[in-house]
Amino acid sequence: MTAASTTRKQRRQVVLLRPVPGQTVIHDLWAGSKLLIVAGIGALLTFYPGWVPIGTVALLILAAARLAHIPRGVLPTVPRWLWLLLALGALTATFAGGSPVIGIGLADIGLGGLLHFLRITALSIVLIGLGAMVSWTTNVAEVAPAVATLGRPLRRLRVPVDDWAVTLALALRAFPMLIEEFRVLYAARQLRPKELNVTRRARRRRWAAELIDLLVAAITVALRRADEMGDAITARGGAGQISAAPTRPKRRDWVALAVVIVMCGTALALELTVLGTSGMRG
Amino acid sequence: MTSAGPESAPRRTGSLQPVELAQAAVMAALCAAIAIIAVVVPFAAGLSLLGTVPMGLLAYRYRLRVLIAATVAGGLIAFLIAGMGGFMTVVNCAYIGGLTGIVKRRGRGTPTVIASALVAGALFGVATVVALSILSRLRNLIFDSVTANVTGVAAILSRIPGMQGAAQRLTQDFSTALNYWPYLFFASGVFSITFVSLVGWWALSRVMSRLMGVPDVHKLESSTDEGPIAPVPLRLRDVRFRYPTSDHDALGPVSLSVQPGEHLAVTGANGSGKTTLMLVLSGREPTAGAVERPGAVGLGKLGGTAVVMQHPESQVLGTRVADDVVWGLPPGTATDVNQLLSEVGLNGMAERDTGGLSGGELQRLAVAAALAREPSLLIADEVTSMVDHEGREGLMSVLAGLTRRHCTSLVHITHYNDEADAAGYTVNLRGSGWPTADSGDMVETAEAPMVTPLVAMPRVAPVLELTGVCHEYGSGTPWAKTALRDIDFAVHEGDGVLVHGLNGSGKSTLAWIMAGLTAPTSGTCLLDGAPVSDQVGAVAISFQAARLQLMRSHVALEIASSAGFSMYDQAKVTAALNTVGLEPTLAARRVDELSGGQMRRVVLAGLLARSPRALILDEPLAGLDAASQRGLLRLLVELRRRSGLTVVVISHDFVGLEELCPRTLHLQGGVLAPVPTTAEDLS
Repeated sequence: MTAASTTRKQRRQVVLLRPVPGQTVIHDLWAGSKLLIVAGIGALLTFYPGWVPIGTVALLILAAARLAHIPRGVLPTVPRWLWLLLALGALTATFAGGSPVIGIGLADIGLGGLLHFLRITALSIVLIGLGAMVSWTTNVAEVAPAVATLGRPLRRLRVPVDDWAVTLALALRAFPMLIEEFRVLYAARQLRPKELNVTRRARRRRWAAELIDLLVAAITVALRRADEMGDAITARGGAGQISAAPTRPKRRDWVALAVVIVMCGTALALELTVLGTSGMRG
Repeated sequence: MTSAGPESAPRRTGSLQPVELAQAAVMAALCAAIAIIAVVVPFAAGLSLLGTVPMGLLAYRYRLRVLIAATVAGGLIAFLIAGMGGFMTVVNCAYIGGLTGIVKRRGRGTPTVIASALVAGALFGVATVVALSILSRLRNLIFDSVTANVTGVAAILSRIPGMQGAAQRLTQDFSTALNYWPYLFFASGVFSITFVSLVGWWALSRVMSRLMGVPDVHKLESSTDEGPIAPVPLRLRDVRFRYPTSDHDALGPVSLSVQPGEHLAVTGANGSGKTTLMLVLSGREPTAGAVERPGAVGLGKLGGTAVVMQHPESQVLGTRVADDVVWGLPPGTATDVNQLLSEVGLNGMAERDTGGLSGGELQRLAVAAALAREPSLLIADEVTSMVDHEGREGLMSVLAGLTRRHCTSLVHITHYNDEADAAGYTVNLRGSGWPTADSGDMVETAEAPMVTPLVAMPRVAPVLELTGVCHEYGSGTPWAKTALRDIDFAVHEGDGVLVHGLNGSGKSTLAWIMAGLTAPTSGTCLLDGAPVSDQVGAVAISFQAARLQLMRSHVALEIASSAGFSMYDQAKVTAALNTVGLEPTLAARRVDELSGGQMRRVVLAGLLARSPRALILDEPLAGLDAASQRGLLRLLVELRRRSGLTVVVISHDFVGLEELCPRTLHLQGGVLAPVPTTAEDLS
């Protein structure tokens, strides 16, 4: 399942929802632990986006990537305009000045603005990397059962966790098929002659109508798929088990959780005491 | 024809029903796909506005519980692929889609949408402000960072003579704005939610008015009968069935009986009511006649009735083979998955992804899942019709010995005569109200024709020329997979070439490369001497899923748009319809009212009207009944003979293609099979 495979240039394609081949410690972790860790770290970073927590999480991600034998090839090609945008942002932020000031030759340069810019960039990269690590190391078939297990306490509050887990499992099954259909839809549109409209108004209306046409085609196909899927569920007598061998947390999961908690706890303590960078206003 | 309407039955409470689960899942996947594209693809953020439509449709047709389940599922998928941004996009789509969908269901108009969007926007604004107040450190970071950029821009501006004033204004205004941030965020929340709601409302209304003609293909109903499960021995007496909207019987009268352990085949042409019989056997009440069973039908229940249907892809519900076998079994049921898999010939594949299985393997997996329920009655409804030759044989051998290995009765509905031979006895259905179908409508399976030796043809330059074409998906990533290797061949003017290969042989990739939709990783594919990928549209391609190629609402519009002439040019539309043997009256028809065969012909009409250099047909016969298959083939043969059309057919089947495609190329594992010297090499 690949996206954007119809582009002319041979760019590295984005491969969706398929783990990096291999059977490592990180691959073997229970999907539920990974989701918990990601949720916990996400919360930590949104509340305390200081340099120390960001750095710690970046270290954790790099260590996990090392353990999972993730090659550099998984990274999609970064388009040139994004580099340009980043450079532009860094440039303007540098001109803002602010403490700390360092002297290079005769000029004094205030790095305060640049540091703010770098911190928010680093934060975004770390957050993206966190999610990417989960999708690179987790078989999608394990996600829905893990959600069902994690959500078990919510069942007492009459939250329909099982319905959610079944829907998630089915959606994950339908997703690649829909992406494939999008691909055909896009190709079919490419094959058509371009319509020439003189006025801007006509062009805009044409564009809107085309968007609706594409959406209708996609939804018609999706509805048909849903009808057939509904029949298939009925033929199985409704929902029930979704996994042949439900996995549970094992010892390695507790170890991983402990490592993450200790690391993040230390980072948080440092952030709140001696090395705080997110509390002050510059 | 009611699939776009709100659920007519009284609102249910409790767990989600099969239809609700399926709709929630598919719409969640659709919304997630849109959200991911909006987040990942640059400058496509506006696309997320359209994500409100699937969610709106769900809220319109089903209860809130369905929408919430879809939001959770879609949000998690988007999160797994695109991170927090994807998750938030799905949640927003569900928020706004739910709003517009519910307004629509209540039958209200635009003023209600505006009013409720203002309220929803205010709530959203308050939520944003509260969240940012709590996340004070994140807020400071964002504000500091933006301030730095703005100050920097001002600093640069102030060095330009005459711009000092502007620079000062910029910094001042920005810091004023920051001081009032809660108001600013609140106002922008209200504004953006209202704007998105209005766009979503517009799109939803437009889409829904177009969906009214979409036929409902949902067929099975959960069995409601109580009591002990015992579907066999089963006896049908003069059973007739008529669909509520129809004026003639779709089935019957039929009388037959199914004894325990019996293998029964049901044959008949399209329209003779084979599928309707399956519905009656699996528990639908007939409109006339009597069905006698000792107990309840128990559709999908242990020891009850199991059904295996036509479509390989949509029957399989698990993402992993082993998960699919047990899918839907009551919690706690122990199943010997490996034993079942080895019985259907899928040994050792328990951990495989279902996405990578061929049609035949998927169907055998569906049989395994049916057997996991130890059914008393197993109904196989045209299970081989969408499976290639090899898969068909495997599937038949699994079905043949089934009644001996299990204590189950097997009803095998088929339109292949030779498949019925394995059964104990055969019932031949004749449609009622339809002309008696001749046996010619039954399909015989065909053997693979010989590979035609490539004789060096001293002719003019070829139309399409492939030299050393290799293609690899995901190059440079750990997922790299070679689809094609060293493909060399040429297609000449007026040629008819069949590219034959099994699932996964790379034949679809080859079709995309020949149409210029995919540029090969190495090698060249030239059309009249220039790379075909620079001339997209010059080679026409008709995809297997014809519906995806029909974008406009009506036939005339569709043909005009795909051929590139004005929709008011009736003569051209009629001429285009004529070339594919369709009545000119069809021009006014809605696309969704067409049959599968007609859809394919309309696609062809649009493609041929542009006089393409060559026509590629990807599985042109898949999913068509015997009569439409023959009709389409006749048309294509005629077109090729009359107008010298160059045709390339991509197929896993051979039936009747010899005349259209005198030349055959075999694709195996991404390489062209060498020309065999004798016929034995082929087998």
